[in-house]
Amino acid sequence: MSHDHTPTVAPTYSIPVGPLHVALEEPMYFKIDVEGETVKHVGINAGHAHRGIEYLTTKRTIYQNVVLTERICSLCSNSHPQTFAMAAEKIAGIEVPERGIYLRVVADELKRIASHIFNVALLVHLTGYETYFMHMMQVREICQDTLESVFGNRQDIGAMCIGGVRYDVDEKSIAYILAQLARIEPEVRDFIKTFKSNGTILRRTKDVGVLTHANAITCGVVGPVARGSGIDYDVRREATYAAYDRLPLMVHTQTDGDVWSRAMVRLEETITSIDLVRVCLRDLPGGDAHIHDRPDIPPGQAIARTEAPRGEVFYYLRTNESAQPERVKWRVPTYMNWDALRFMLQDAKVADIAIIVNSIDPCLSCTER
Amino acid sequence: MSNQLMILLAVLLFPGGVFALVLGLALKGADRRVAARLQSRVGPPLLQPFFDIIKLGFKRTLVPEVASETVFLYAPLIGVISMVLAAALVPITAVYTPAPAIGNLLVLLYLLMIPGVVLMIAGSASGSPYGAIGFSREMAMMIAYEGPLVLIAAAVAIRTGVGMGGTVSFSLSDIIAYQQTHGSFLLDPVMWPALAAFCFFYPANIGIVPFDIPEAETEVLEGPLLEYSGPTLALFKIMSALKKVVVLNLGIALFLPFAPENWLLALVVWLVKMLVLMLVGVTALRVAIGRMRIDQAFIFFLKWPLLLAVASLAVVVVV
Repeated sequence: MSHDHTPTVAPTYSIPVGPLHVALEEPMYFKIDVEGETVKHVGINAGHAHRGIEYLTTKRTIYQNVVLTERICSLCSNSHPQTFAMAAEKIAGIEVPERGIYLRVVADELKRIASHIFNVALLVHLTGYETYFMHMMQVREICQDTLESVFGNRQDIGAMCIGGVRYDVDEKSIAYILAQLARIEPEVRDFIKTFKSNGTILRRTKDVGVLTHANAITCGVVGPVARGSGIDYDVRREATYAAYDRLPLMVHTQTDGDVWSRAMVRLEETITSIDLVRVCLRDLPGGDAHIHDRPDIPPGQAIARTEAPRGEVFYYLRTNESAQPERVKWRVPTYMNWDALRFMLQDAKVADIAIIVNSIDPCLSCTER
Repeated sequence: MSNQLMILLAVLLFPGGVFALVLGLALKGADRRVAARLQSRVGPPLLQPFFDIIKLGFKRTLVPEVASETVFLYAPLIGVISMVLAAALVPITAVYTPAPAIGNLLVLLYLLMIPGVVLMIAGSASGSPYGAIGFSREMAMMIAYEGPLVLIAAAVAIRTGVGMGGTVSFSLSDIIAYQQTHGSFLLDPVMWPALAAFCFFYPANIGIVPFDIPEAETEVLEGPLLEYSGPTLALFKIMSALKKVVVLNLGIALFLPFAPENWLLALVVWLVKMLVLMLVGVTALRVAIGRMRIDQAFIFFLKWPLLLAVASLAVVVVV
């Protein structure tokens, strides 16, 4: 026991990461206690991007809500209306035409390619490797061009409607999409090779932000974060929807649970997505892409779930006699995944905070709507 | 009297002061332009660094409430003054020889440390936690690269001193004069370890990827510079532009001072050498790889440049 009265110096000090931070694309606020360069405690503060969209859905008709849900988030802007439409179709017992089912997969997978390359490119940007970031974004731009040419928009592609899809492809656009995919595929294979061999990338991503298999199950993580930690789970296979049961879907997993594993899962899924689009366009059945009338949605309730680029999106829809839904509630992958950040950031270096946060591919506007 | 006037002119006009500033900003412009082209971007105009300085000059300086104002405002000034002086210390072969009173390698080594120290002081005076992280990172980097630099300087000084019949010579004019008669150290195998160590040192001192860790934008938001704005930020940019010229010129003086007799031709050759050192050692490096983490960079410097520098000193002493 010492009896002197020298003031004790706190071994830790806290730094604010966010709500505005160059490394975070969206407002997210972490209060991080660090000791030197090592993270000791993480406090997550959410709610900066709350816009009241869940409330707004009950003020619009169910058909209008397809448009509204697309605007929840720009990167999963296809998954939200698709899942919402699936829930509404379940209540009304609407059968989507075969062609519409296949075209839903095409739209979804094209968005997935763009989203995955975007996230991995951001990871490279955060490691300070600007040249490779520029290169990856140029490859993503091929995908964005494709989206704009086929759907008319780069981000909110407006492909989904209740009872099918709002777009159709002809011989010319099929040939165009296939040609664009042929340009993207060798580049993505190159990314995979680079990620396996490039010292700059390996140095900053291997054994960084590890989420063990056990912790992954504790947090209930979904999507590439779960698959990076060795959890073999993909909604497209577990609760198959659209045309996925007829397609050669491959689920990729990694065992290390670090930033590198999550990036690698995304890159390999991109290759699979390219294959899925090709098979869809090859086997595309004829007929209508959507039903022609707008049936009233009867009272009832339903859930639907799909695999968004970030993981499982879960929708609950309850309808009543009116044209507006009584309640719409959704759970997005980031809600499950950001809880795992406290394990990933534990004892991480300050330099790796942004890299680790980016590795769960956080989507704040989905989560806080 | 005229001697003092010459020193004053050297410090304020050429090769320090105005000349070094314009050259440093132009090098920065070339660096940004070439880097952009290597990344298949268009890139900013060559004069962009000048525009940036002018724009910052018209802006307001905000002092954070928690900052200690005097230190916060005067730190960058000290950095600029140190670099203006340093720029006048290094000779340019056949063009400029500094007055013997100032042209000393040891003085230069001390002056070269000041920008790093200024960044540390600025970071801690700003009161920002990111500034504090920048402080500790800058300190780690300085410990990592200053050691090799001193050893490189010692190797060059001993090689020159012994070659000229003495023991050791820290006079920059002697170092250049020796290489003028005996050939540049670039072609001297004994000096290659020192040259290799210097090639690691100067990107780290200039502070570019992979060694821009204290100011890493995506990690600590420019670290010590985070709270700076307006003219004070411009001073930091001026400081780093001057530092580029000093460090590159130091490399030229230590290892490749060969030049023709004609002073105009010699100046052109010198400018070409500056540009080559900048584009090869800085631009190509920073577009080719990503940033290291501070612990990785620290260990890297203790391993390779320090080893090379120690080896160079040992070789020079033995041979």
